[in-house]
Amino acid sequence: MVEIWELYKNSNWVEPFLIGSICLFVGISTVLYLLIIESRNRKIKHEKLRNEYEQIIVELMYSVVFMDVPFSSVKEEQNYAMFLKNTYFREVLTESVINLHKNYDGVYAIKLEQFYKESELINNSFKKLKNYKWEVKCKGITELSEMNITDAFDIIINISKSKNKTLKITAINACIKLVGVKGIIHLTEHPYPIDDWTQVNIINAFKKHDIGDTQGVEDLLESKNTTVVALGLKLIKELKLTQKLPHVKQLTERAPNTLIQYEAQSVLQALNVNL
Amino acid sequence: MIFLNSEITWFVDVYILLILGYAILIMSSYLILAYLSTKALRSYLKKNSFIDYEVLLTSEFAPKLSLIAPAYNEGFTIEENVKSLLSLNYNNYQVIVVNDGSRDNSMEILINTYDLFLTELEVDLKIETKKVRGIYTSRNAAFKKLIVVDKENGGKADALNVGLNIAQNPYVVCIDVDCILDKDSLLKLAKPFLESYGKRIIATGGVVRIANQCVIRNGRLVEINIPDAILPRIQVLEYLRAFLLGRMAWGRLDGLLLISGAFGAFDKEIALLAGGYSTKTVGEDMELVVRMRRYMVENKLPYSVSYIPDPLCWTEAPEDFKIFKKQRSRWMRGTIETLTLHKKMFLNPKYKLLGMLSIPYWTFFEFLAPAIEFTGLIITLLFIFFGFINWHFFFLLVFFVYTFAVFFSVIALYSEERTYHKYPKQTDFLKLLLAAFIEPLYFHPLTVYAALVGYKEKIMGTKGWGEMTRKGFTKKE
Repeated sequence: MVEIWELYKNSNWVEPFLIGSICLFVGISTVLYLLIIESRNRKIKHEKLRNEYEQIIVELMYSVVFMDVPFSSVKEEQNYAMFLKNTYFREVLTESVINLHKNYDGVYAIKLEQFYKESELINNSFKKLKNYKWEVKCKGITELSEMNITDAFDIIINISKSKNKTLKITAINACIKLVGVKGIIHLTEHPYPIDDWTQVNIINAFKKHDIGDTQGVEDLLESKNTTVVALGLKLIKELKLTQKLPHVKQLTERAPNTLIQYEAQSVLQALNVNL
Repeated sequence: MIFLNSEITWFVDVYILLILGYAILIMSSYLILAYLSTKALRSYLKKNSFIDYEVLLTSEFAPKLSLIAPAYNEGFTIEENVKSLLSLNYNNYQVIVVNDGSRDNSMEILINTYDLFLTELEVDLKIETKKVRGIYTSRNAAFKKLIVVDKENGGKADALNVGLNIAQNPYVVCIDVDCILDKDSLLKLAKPFLESYGKRIIATGGVVRIANQCVIRNGRLVEINIPDAILPRIQVLEYLRAFLLGRMAWGRLDGLLLISGAFGAFDKEIALLAGGYSTKTVGEDMELVVRMRRYMVENKLPYSVSYIPDPLCWTEAPEDFKIFKKQRSRWMRGTIETLTLHKKMFLNPKYKLLGMLSIPYWTFFEFLAPAIEFTGLIITLLFIFFGFINWHFFFLLVFFVYTFAVFFSVIALYSEERTYHKYPKQTDFLKLLLAAFIEPLYFHPLTVYAALVGYKEKIMGTKGWGEMTRKGFTKKE
């Protein structure tokens, strides 16, 4: 301690320290300033490029989806061929296809799915699932589920077991969209608590994707994980699954705790009133 | 250094080294907090891009909220402000406007605009407050979420306590009625209450930003601008530094002591159990958070305080020095009062991070910093007067502090640029950059002065807020 104090008191270090620090602060500030300028320029450039690409994509989509031009011939066209190899163009294209798909049903939606496969955008999405960054995985999952790629289900369900909550929610939502109740049935064996936010997201996925076949929701009530049981009860209540009431009634008789018992009774009450 | 062979030389050397040591300590703490904030912010934004807040809009399981908006002499803006509160993007909520004995025509405006009538509402007086003159609800079904309480004047904390007594929902959101809220602010504020399992989220707070010279339409922010006037402009930068580089880190460490009074949500049950807002302090927002935390620790209840870095609330900053001084001296009084009321927590391991880090940090770097700076200034002047000063070293030290201040502001600008990018106009960025150079020379001395006034007021026993006049936002019809 005394040595440190002596060293500190021996103020020979002060001047070089101050000069060094000042240089460091000025240097880093200048670098940060340059980075801000660079970031702003990049944003402007990307914005310009995006606008340019979006115009090309509108034409491309119009030909493929509405004019029934086969993708094989579009691909040959020099205007498009060059762009289709460009990574940023493909990124904007994927976003556009996904957004269009959200707004269309029936034959147009099927054509978009076809385009997504033929243009090999699907491969990019599959590649994203293998990325070590969870956020890239999330993006891939969202794309594949939006385009109804059921082949991706097995990989996505594995990802849904991840400990990363955002990734888990995205994967479970995708599973629900792709295969309905089967997408959450594995939760009966889930060892960790599922918080209310995740539960609300799962319920919303059922409502949003209008999942009609609810066979198996009652299995959630059998789980040893009380948060999964609570999820099952909430699903039955929100989706008004009156056919599941006998299972809920059974649960009230053997509820693992008073909270679940109370929730089960409130579901019974709410749905009986609705009957 | 100073080469005088006397005891004075020793004293001067030690003094300068201590000042330098303090400066290095405070700067290092800022940099560590900035690093933690940046990391937390990046992680938050990554997650946030995959979150669909709208799920809360259609869910009956969304937390039920009661907004409490105390109003005192807000006649000019109250009609529009309440309208904006009633049109937020959320379903399970009620709005409680507490008229804190306004001397203007606020009540008449509210009664006429919202077709209010006196109602018999059962109120459980869990916290004692000033007399409630009447509780009003609307005859118009469009305003069924609205409750207006007319009460005798008792200050902001008392008005908030009335709101806590009346609130029917399990979570309360306390807001300044003149703030502009982001339309999704309630969705974002409510989400953390659903997220924690086994740990109770007792409060959530969001980022407040400066709205001077921004354009407001129908109670919503439609155009973001940086003020031309230098005082509010530097406050924009100051808020960026505080919220982006400071509070985010405290939030990550779960050591946040302050949720801005302008916009924060609380678990009503815990707020009531902790005793509600204290009317004995002008820093009631900070004091409530500290007391709620203390309540949880003392009762061995697992808990957390959540922080949302998104800009959710926009407020008007003081444009003239008189108002600014009043605001900052009040903040200092609030800090002193809170730290005094909870001095038991200071370096008390029972309170873990809160007692060992948050409270000492606030004590040394928020409460004592202006006093240390002022003492430093006086001693430096004495050294100059007696000719003890080594000018070369003195200027080096001043330049060291100045470049650090500019450097730290540039980090805040960089962080803002890479995250929210709310000031895309080139002129706005340059205005902020210029503010970064002016801040240490002009704004910082003002804040130190205002804090010293706060010390003086505390010693003299000054109570209350004092009149805070606002200029009002730029509106667009």
